[in-house]
Amino acid sequence: MTISLAVPDLLVARAKSGDLEALEALYRAFETPVYNLALRVLRVPEDAEDVLQETFLEVVRSIKQYRAEGHLWGWIRQIATSKALMRIRHDRVRETEEWHEESGAGGTSERTSGTAGMSPSGVPAQIDLERAFERLSETSRAVVWLHDVEGYTHEEIAEQMGKTVSFSKSQLARAHARLRRMLDEGVAR
Amino acid sequence: MMHCTMDDLLALRAGEGSAWARQHAAGCAACQAELEALYQRVAQLKALPTRRPARDRWPAVRDAVLAEQRRRRERWGVWGLAAAAALAALLVFRPFWTKPVNAAELARVKEQSATLEQQLRRYDPDGRVTSGRSAALAAALEDRIAVVDGELAQVGPSQAQARPADLVTLWQQRVELMEQLVSVRVTRAAYVGL
Repeated sequence: MTISLAVPDLLVARAKSGDLEALEALYRAFETPVYNLALRVLRVPEDAEDVLQETFLEVVRSIKQYRAEGHLWGWIRQIATSKALMRIRHDRVRETEEWHEESGAGGTSERTSGTAGMSPSGVPAQIDLERAFERLSETSRAVVWLHDVEGYTHEEIAEQMGKTVSFSKSQLARAHARLRRMLDEGVAR
Repeated sequence: MMHCTMDDLLALRAGEGSAWARQHAAGCAACQAELEALYQRVAQLKALPTRRPARDRWPAVRDAVLAEQRRRRERWGVWGLAAAAALAALLVFRPFWTKPVNAAELARVKEQSATLEQQLRRYDPDGRVTSGRSAALAAALEDRIAVVDGELAQVGPSQAQARPADLVTLWQQRVELMEQLVSVRVTRAAYVGL
């Protein structure tokens, strides 16, 4: 997902002064990327909408502290990520994990010798990556989305999640191993 | 034959693969295919369609913002009333608590403050169009006035007797800030032609 979210400085200044029109303009500019991020992590539309609302309440409350260092989207995304991860931590989202952590198959240390199910090009036929992705656990989805799509480093993810860098790395490897397995076996279809 | 693990492949993708993994992947078609599949998966994840919220949550955010602004104004009003009440109590019950010059000066700045309050009420911020710069300036002034009001309330009747000069200084500061605020509001009203 490519996002181009340049916001005029004047709009930010007006928003900082509490101007409702400017705040709404910011909301309109960022509602889709915030919602999309939350939905990819949490999977449930209502939860993603709640995160969207909580994120902008926080944006409104804290925008006076925004120092314009870096892109505004980076700052808002940080808040949205934090709100989404808080939901995971508080167990307020429904657990959708269907592939148990204990399952040896698909583990990160499993050698990838078997390429069964791979097409000659190396890409499984009939893939439904979106559905397979949704079947990962919330934590795995969060790590994969933040790292592979949003471009967070493992250090940043670890900090946001209150975990270690190796936790983030192992979650990513585990998630990719599971995705590969689901796609190969056509589970997601 | 031993192949790369997913950890190895992810490390290779990040340019951090071990010497063994790099060497092995270079000569192993299966691991090269796995690495390519990993790149493909990530590219496909990035290309997933963007989802949009079904409902508009802005009205809920806006209502919360307005409620917070209302509470802030009310709090500001309460601070101002508390400070005025404390001052009135001092003047009524302790007329000789300090030098006459302090009492007279205090009464004068208090009256100035009340006049400015009346002027400000004529420029109700909610009903008018505002430019970003003047709104920011007004908000900053309001914040500083709230701080002064807080300090006035803290001085209170008990300490005011011992610190009459402080009280006068605080009220003078308040008047100066109020004058600036009135100026911002009046200028703004002229600017937007209201």
